[in-house]
Amino acid sequence: MSIPTYKTEALKSWNKAKEIRNDFYKRYQNAHENGGLRWAGGAWSFGAIPCGLGRDIFPITGEPYAAGIAFNKEFSLRCLEATERKGYARDLCAYMRTYWGSIILDEYLYGGKFPKPDFMWQDHVCCSHSKWYQVASELEGGIPTYSIDVAVGPYNSVTESKIDYIVAQMQDGIEWLKKTTGREYNDDLLIEAVNNECRATSAWAEICMYNMAKPAPLDEKTMYSLYVLGTLEKHSKIVADYYEELRDEVKWRVENGISATKHERCRLISDTQPPWGFLDVFRYLEGFGAVSVGSLYTFGLIGVWEDKPDGTWGPRTTPAQKGIKIETREQALRILADWNLSKPEWQHFYSPHLKSDMMIKICQQWQVDGVLLHYNRGCEGLSLGIAENRLALIEAGYPVMAFEGNMGDEREFDATKTMSRIDSFMETLGMKLINQ
Amino acid sequence: MITQFRDWDLNRHAYAKEWKERTGGKVMGYFCTYVPEEILYAANILPVRILGSHEQNDVTEPHIFGMFCPFCRDCLAQGLKGRYDYLDGIMIAQSCLHIRQAYTSWTKHIPIDFQYYLPMPNNVQSPHATPYLTAEYIQFKEAVEKWIGKEITPDDLQRGIDIMNENRSLIHEIYNYKKMDNPPLSGEESMEVAITQQMVDKREHSVAMRKLLDEIAAGGKSTKNTSGTRLMILGSENDDIPFVRMVESVNGTVVTDDHCIGTRYFWNNVEPGEDLITSIAQRYIDRPACPSKDWIERTRIPHILSIAKEFGVKGAIVIQQKFCDPHELDIPAIIKSLNANDIKTLFLEFDVTVPLGQFKIRVEAFLEMLQEDDLF
Amino acid sequence: MINVGIDLGAKNIKIVMVSNGEVIARGITLSGFETKENSTALFDSMLQEHGIARGDISTITTTGSGRKAIDFATNSITEVTAATKGATTLFPTSRCVIDVGAEEGRSIRIDPNGKIIDFALNEKCAAGAGAFIESMGRALELTVETFGPLSLESDKEIPMNAQCAVFAESEVVSLLHSKTEKKDIAKAVNDAVASRIVSMTRKVGFEKDIQLIGGMAKNLGFVDSLKRALDSELIIPDFPEFISAYGAAIYND
Repeated sequence: MSIPTYKTEALKSWNKAKEIRNDFYKRYQNAHENGGLRWAGGAWSFGAIPCGLGRDIFPITGEPYAAGIAFNKEFSLRCLEATERKGYARDLCAYMRTYWGSIILDEYLYGGKFPKPDFMWQDHVCCSHSKWYQVASELEGGIPTYSIDVAVGPYNSVTESKIDYIVAQMQDGIEWLKKTTGREYNDDLLIEAVNNECRATSAWAEICMYNMAKPAPLDEKTMYSLYVLGTLEKHSKIVADYYEELRDEVKWRVENGISATKHERCRLISDTQPPWGFLDVFRYLEGFGAVSVGSLYTFGLIGVWEDKPDGTWGPRTTPAQKGIKIETREQALRILADWNLSKPEWQHFYSPHLKSDMMIKICQQWQVDGVLLHYNRGCEGLSLGIAENRLALIEAGYPVMAFEGNMGDEREFDATKTMSRIDSFMETLGMKLINQ
Repeated sequence: MITQFRDWDLNRHAYAKEWKERTGGKVMGYFCTYVPEEILYAANILPVRILGSHEQNDVTEPHIFGMFCPFCRDCLAQGLKGRYDYLDGIMIAQSCLHIRQAYTSWTKHIPIDFQYYLPMPNNVQSPHATPYLTAEYIQFKEAVEKWIGKEITPDDLQRGIDIMNENRSLIHEIYNYKKMDNPPLSGEESMEVAITQQMVDKREHSVAMRKLLDEIAAGGKSTKNTSGTRLMILGSENDDIPFVRMVESVNGTVVTDDHCIGTRYFWNNVEPGEDLITSIAQRYIDRPACPSKDWIERTRIPHILSIAKEFGVKGAIVIQQKFCDPHELDIPAIIKSLNANDIKTLFLEFDVTVPLGQFKIRVEAFLEMLQEDDLF
Repeated sequence: MINVGIDLGAKNIKIVMVSNGEVIARGITLSGFETKENSTALFDSMLQEHGIARGDISTITTTGSGRKAIDFATNSITEVTAATKGATTLFPTSRCVIDVGAEEGRSIRIDPNGKIIDFALNEKCAAGAGAFIESMGRALELTVETFGPLSLESDKEIPMNAQCAVFAESEVVSLLHSKTEKKDIAKAVNDAVASRIVSMTRKVGFEKDIQLIGGMAKNLGFVDSLKRALDSELIIPDFPEFISAYGAAIYND
């Protein structure tokens, strides 16, 4: 097989992404200095809603915070062990255990003590979501906590009563926020945040669309560092603006044939969070000329998509693009609920078969040669139904390599065995290491 | 006294097949006790809870990742092995992620006439859960009506409620006897009564419970020793009768539980209200919560403590199905509260099969510890 | 010219030398800590024993979990490819190869052209390999050689937890305490491991013929359990533990 060689170039906007991420954690830490407020919640929580309390409200989202800790293997292990000492089981969500560990040790990944939030603001689609903050609140000595149940079924069966249920909880949540913080609530700020969220999450989907190009302008390892901004503050102007800038740069890369990897000759997708401490798996794959061009996870955890009239998958059209002007709180909340319910990574909570369909669609549309499925012991939510996904992908004709691991607990990932499994998989695809 | 219940338990599939033949009715297999059986009884459908068989299996590996609980895999295995081949429909009311996979794999790989995923809300502490669930029930009722080709009238619904309420009230009466010293039934025996609630036509089950209550009222008593140390058993799904038998063989007496086979299932009745569907919805919102729905307040803890007090419990065996995240998230807080209220606890992790010999040693040690407390 | 295949397994190193498609030498030694030294020593002693000059050897292909430890190899392939090549060369009708060694079990599904369709390997938390049976054998005070035949004498069905080796071991201890006969426990252990292997095999899906290779193919009790669990006959080649080494040797043909 001839080996293609492509131009590669570092992303120009890379450093900006890094800065946004660093600022996020600093702003949270320093929020109280100027009378601002801190809140903690999940990456999927409706972060747009607390924005109505003012421009000095700074969140920390648990999953990306814990993923950051996973890169620091020493601190990560101390966090996990601190949680185990409190009597919590080792097979619980690795992010949750890590996050609790950071509270128990009272150490912040970015220096100093763990900054106590003023309130917790969560939503609930996975069994662990609300329980995470229930326990976190107990560990912190009692922090006011609110959570919104969004587990109303897949988007293809959405009804007004389902939206009503979520919106009613949101409306109560706003009253709860006012009472908890003693602040007034500004609907204009909410509307601004909802528009930003739609803009950011649709723009991210657009960025992913450019990865249909051959060679792919982005590899998944790079995408992890970019999509993460959406998990921090998908509702912020900073993130929405950045994604639009990034989209333009990725478009430019495609037009100029800039590839993410030097020798793309085999396109893969993965699934679920990777074992964060071992991203060199992706570098290893590059040695074969194999590149992971994304996953339902990187595309659809934060990106919001829709089926286009021609049956393909594309970025969901934002209310602003449709010419809808959001004018009231109720309207903003309804749009926010509906928008999030269509999130691809929420669908498989009700049926793995919906996820299989989306994965097969990605395989077709992104011209994928094989799939790496991370049976992730660290996340019951995203590993839900993964065995059925495997069966469906194989039935659809896509070679699959499954490997077990854990996104945030390195004790459960066997790097050597995984690399050797990759060797076997690559051999079955007819690939050898390029330098051999 | 409990021969009838034990026969039903051992011959659950034969019973359901025979029921079908006898009544010509449909049988609905269901996962999770949040399924509103009132609506199924209103439609003359027999609800049968899908349970495992406590055998190792080699058929579920392709379908469910091994990090999910053994119970959900055991349940799916029963379907894949054709043991529930008499079912006409299959449904689930949303609770934990684990059991959901047994349902979603079942619907894909086992042909069935009717399937339904009922998105039971998780935020049962929100006032908006009941109206939402009511709307879901209306949709569900319509789907059932379409399936059976017949309208479910308010009279039908009232009948469904009455059947369920009567059955729940009767088992409460049985459990009330377990508050006594040397109760007339052992834990193993009351577990047989509770398990069969979930597989036998409630009308027949209620008749058998009345008979049992008459026998008890007439001075009938278990042949088993029920004067052992009073224990409560709580945690994940548990229908492991050999385990309870072992506990009682070493002089423990299981007097109550907080399990979804047991009190969580039958604790509260449908209260009369203006609208029958709303009343049913309210019942499922108000029932003792599964841990997957017990947030943000921990309502399970005061409930468990109050049951423990009511039944004069000395110690609690806290069991957890391996990998059961919802219970893993509650168990540390529950153990802490029980211990703070002078109820000692023994924690055990269950799998499809349990190492009875090993567990026996731990249970004996636990009972010795509780008995020492009595001495001093 | 002679082609050599070296399978550096978790427990044993197996070497096969092939000339014109015919196996001319087989050798086995413990892997130990010094895998490289031990395989070199075995290789050299085989050359000496069979009077083969180093210059007669055209290829040396390694496979197995320690395959990268050797610096005198000309090529290296994975266990999956080696097992498939060896098994399908001997029995081309094989559509499924089950390879059970000391630490790892693998199932490979193959199309009629010998191409791999799918494969699965046992994961960390799975009592699905020979080392597990060995440790259970130690608990029962049985040698590897006696474990299989003894289990064949039992006709009891004792369910045992096969998901987790730790749980399984405590069940073995419970059974010993309750005076269960050794032969019945041995069968329960073989059944439990077979159940794990069949679980994994079902994951890739299987059709006949099914070939069993690897050291565990020599445990007759396990073979019997596997046949019953699969409800199928099994092809078991001669020298089943050498099939991957053989596959590696002939890989370059």
